[in-house]
Amino acid sequence: MAGLPGSGGFDGFVARVRSLVRGLLRRSDVESEMRDEFRHHIELRTEDLVRGGLTWQEASRRARLEFGHAEMHLERSRASRGLDVFDGLRASWLDVKLGLRMLVKYPGLTLVAVLTLAVGIPVGLAPMHVSHAIEAPLPEDPDNRIRGLRYWDLAAADIETPTEHEYALWRDELQTFAMLGAYRPSAGNIAGDDGRAYPVAGAELTASTFAMLGTPPLLGRTLRPDDEVPGAPAVVVIGHDVWRSRLGADPGIIGRSLLVGASLRTVVGVMPESFRFPHRQQMWVPLVLQPGALPASSPDVRVLGRLADGVSPAEAQAELSAVHARVTALLAEGRDRFQAEVVPFGFSAIGMPRQGLAGLPGFYFFQLLALVLLLVACANVAMLVFARTATRYRELAVRTALGASRARIVSQIFVETAVLAVLSAGVGLFTINWALGRVQAAVLARGMDLPYWLTLEVTGRAMVWALVLAVLSAVVAGVAPALRVTGRRIQRNIQRAQAGRSGIRFGGVTGALVVVDVAISVIVLGFVLMFADRLRDATRTDALVGIPAQEFLAAEVRLPADAQRPVEQTSDGDAFRARLGIVQQRLMQRLADEPRVLSVTVASALPRMDHRARRIAVDGAAASDDDRGEWVRMAVVDVDFFATLERPVLAGRDFEPGDVAGGVPPVIINTVFAERLLDGRNPIGRRLRFVTPGEDSPSPWHEIVGVVGHLGINIVNPEGGPGFYVPAAAGAIHPMQLAIHVGDAPESFAPRLREIVAEVDATAMLGTPVVLSRVYQGDWYLLLAAGGGLVLLIVILVTLAASSLYAMISFSVSERTREIGIRAALGARQRTLVLTILRRSLMQVALGALLGLPLAARIVFEDPFGSGSPPVTALLVALAMAMGIIAVIGLFSCVVPARRALRIRPGDALRAER
Amino acid sequence: MTDKASDRADILPGTLDLLILKAVSLGEVHGYGVLLRIEQISGGALEIQQGALYPALYRLEHQGLITSAWGRSDNNRRAKYYRLSRAGRRRLGESAADWNRLADAMATVLSATPEQI
Repeated sequence: MAGLPGSGGFDGFVARVRSLVRGLLRRSDVESEMRDEFRHHIELRTEDLVRGGLTWQEASRRARLEFGHAEMHLERSRASRGLDVFDGLRASWLDVKLGLRMLVKYPGLTLVAVLTLAVGIPVGLAPMHVSHAIEAPLPEDPDNRIRGLRYWDLAAADIETPTEHEYALWRDELQTFAMLGAYRPSAGNIAGDDGRAYPVAGAELTASTFAMLGTPPLLGRTLRPDDEVPGAPAVVVIGHDVWRSRLGADPGIIGRSLLVGASLRTVVGVMPESFRFPHRQQMWVPLVLQPGALPASSPDVRVLGRLADGVSPAEAQAELSAVHARVTALLAEGRDRFQAEVVPFGFSAIGMPRQGLAGLPGFYFFQLLALVLLLVACANVAMLVFARTATRYRELAVRTALGASRARIVSQIFVETAVLAVLSAGVGLFTINWALGRVQAAVLARGMDLPYWLTLEVTGRAMVWALVLAVLSAVVAGVAPALRVTGRRIQRNIQRAQAGRSGIRFGGVTGALVVVDVAISVIVLGFVLMFADRLRDATRTDALVGIPAQEFLAAEVRLPADAQRPVEQTSDGDAFRARLGIVQQRLMQRLADEPRVLSVTVASALPRMDHRARRIAVDGAAASDDDRGEWVRMAVVDVDFFATLERPVLAGRDFEPGDVAGGVPPVIINTVFAERLLDGRNPIGRRLRFVTPGEDSPSPWHEIVGVVGHLGINIVNPEGGPGFYVPAAAGAIHPMQLAIHVGDAPESFAPRLREIVAEVDATAMLGTPVVLSRVYQGDWYLLLAAGGGLVLLIVILVTLAASSLYAMISFSVSERTREIGIRAALGARQRTLVLTILRRSLMQVALGALLGLPLAARIVFEDPFGSGSPPVTALLVALAMAMGIIAVIGLFSCVVPARRALRIRPGDALRAER
Repeated sequence: MTDKASDRADILPGTLDLLILKAVSLGEVHGYGVLLRIEQISGGALEIQQGALYPALYRLEHQGLITSAWGRSDNNRRAKYYRLSRAGRRRLGESAADWNRLADAMATVLSATPEQI
């Protein structure tokens, strides 16, 4: 083919490219010029012949004859311009129809390939899709003009929220934003029609934010600037859900007074169902700025703005940076190491770094992993297409003999594969869309705070990308095998086709692919098994040994966040703590006075909840190399915590009221802590302290005064893991987790508990009370999500491994039709035949499993979740099971092709030779 | 269809390009003129199948060895004229030298006598 550089140097290369581009883009011009030239030639020749004495008619006929077949010359001319390759690539509708027919003709291949790509394409798409979903504009902002404004702390490499003071400065200074708004999430009780107080997520919001979003209210009005003037009448705008479920959808709600948190507010508006700004909020009160507050004590707010017309985000960023540099001197100390940023609203709402997902550690790893998985899927489908193409060898040989160019055949196979890939992408997207819808519904049903603007459902953009990936997949899976099958040695291959074989061999790559697939599957299976083991542990109710958990009622109590705000001149959280302390003491007293209640205690986390982990250092222990301490889970507890839970202190003493009277409180550790971190030596009297990397002044030492048995500090593996407990006086634990010892049927105490909490403090928000033995369910979805992810991964890997095996074996069967037929004719037994076919594949599966096994075993025995001695025999059985599953999958993917092999009749096999 | 031998009629394979380059090098000329010029110079010894000229012309143009422009012929008809490019002149020189070497060698071999061995 003319077109390669080399002959003619650079000039030649340029000339070729120019001529090629012209031929491709102005195809009809080029052709009509050629025809003109031919016509001119024939005319001149005719004139010459007439001058030679012929009649005009005769001359014209002769000239045409001499010139030859014009269409043929035209075609050769195109070829000499290098355009024939592209003619061959032009796919026709016929190819698509042929591709559709192939789907039906080879149902096994269609099924396996569609399954493989339907998994592979969405996996390849996922990182990009999630990234786009987070970056997507709010539903209220179709033009994508709203941005979040915030800080990036250069020193800590972390996001920082601006203050009201800074919001006011930006609002006055920035010209590139048409409008700036601020909000602060808060929560509080709303008094329902039934007299009960319901905790509702809400936000303090500037009137400008409502204006910026532009959603008209369902009833009444939204907030107005005069609502946020200090001293203005207290108003509230409520959400559709609260209006419907708590206030009886009262059409006359506007103007009614409603108890919101501690204050009576007049309802001025009801928002439609779609409005849930900023996350999933259901009530909005005016954000009243406190102009008097000093920069350092100005409360935090989230800031957003609408870009002015014609201003790009980059221009807005430039102005914000300039303004920040100019006003740094006016800001609180330390602001000079901050960078002010303009980011998509979603990034500021959920705390995503400026680069989006790409800024998170591991993103590129996941992106790469996803693409590698897609590539493996494509490679598998390529093998299937390869096998199918090989079985169609005769057809291709005949077509080649009839004059089809190589490009034509390659493009036909490409189109057939593309039909397959597009179908798979469709199936994959449909399934994913359905599954995501289910997951989202389940997550919302569990009351999780999923942002209302985040939809993972398949968008038009995702579909376009899926189509791109499908076409790329078809290139990998279709063109590569087609090129190989139609390679240069056409003559030789045709001869082989006559002998019943295509002369195609699977290389070592294919075998390696199966081995690696199986090995990774086994490793992940190890993970899944260990996880399943932990999951079983986590749900075991008898794990709360020694605690009569079924007699306790557990409930969370929190005070509304706006109570945290500085009241008058009392800055920082002192006022809040004081109030919290009073609430806690009154609540404990009231509960203790209840006739049904045997005892009550409070902690930051109850047994079986996921406890918070902190870095600590132990006095006298071998100093860890980096001075960063060890991660250990802990809880802050009431002094009578262990006594109430009837959990005796095994060594040393229990907490005493004097422990929280002042000074550094002592701690009580669990037995695992003593064994693991204190080398089993006597822990009593030793000390530990909290470590904060980067902090210069170390925190004080806490003395260890006692040891208790395990209480379950970890959602997975509740019996293992070191942990310790710090006592605290009332007012130090928020939110409070109450454990109330009621005796039989503790659930029946819930209504009374609700009354008591409301009486003690009407603003206090009570979570749903549950029996202590079921308290783990609160963190349960974390396990389910992680477990689901692993199961998905294993499904993907097993699908890939199985489809590789299927491709290889079905190819091998079609290649060996003749051999199998003859052997069957000679009386070979079926079992022997099947073994011959499967031997190589089974060897590969076994090799993969052998390679994967040590790593899987290591995962199981190392136990990344912390401690505990794994039940070795149970895990060995589980691993054996894993091997069994892989073997079954291997066999299963062999069955269809093997059956096909056994159905080969000797006569047919030999007839096929002719 | 991929067999190009029939393109080259009665002339040696690979020589058509050289002949066209030479003909074009003698002055701007249209396609039919190339044909006439070759026949005329060779005294009618070399005859090129008429239609087969064009794929070769386009190939040379595609390679940047000749350039073309539309103009008016003697009888005032629209015609496409070819002229040699710089790269074409270089190629003509090289190919002619190659050809001459080959022809000399062939002549030497063919005129060999038993005494020379």
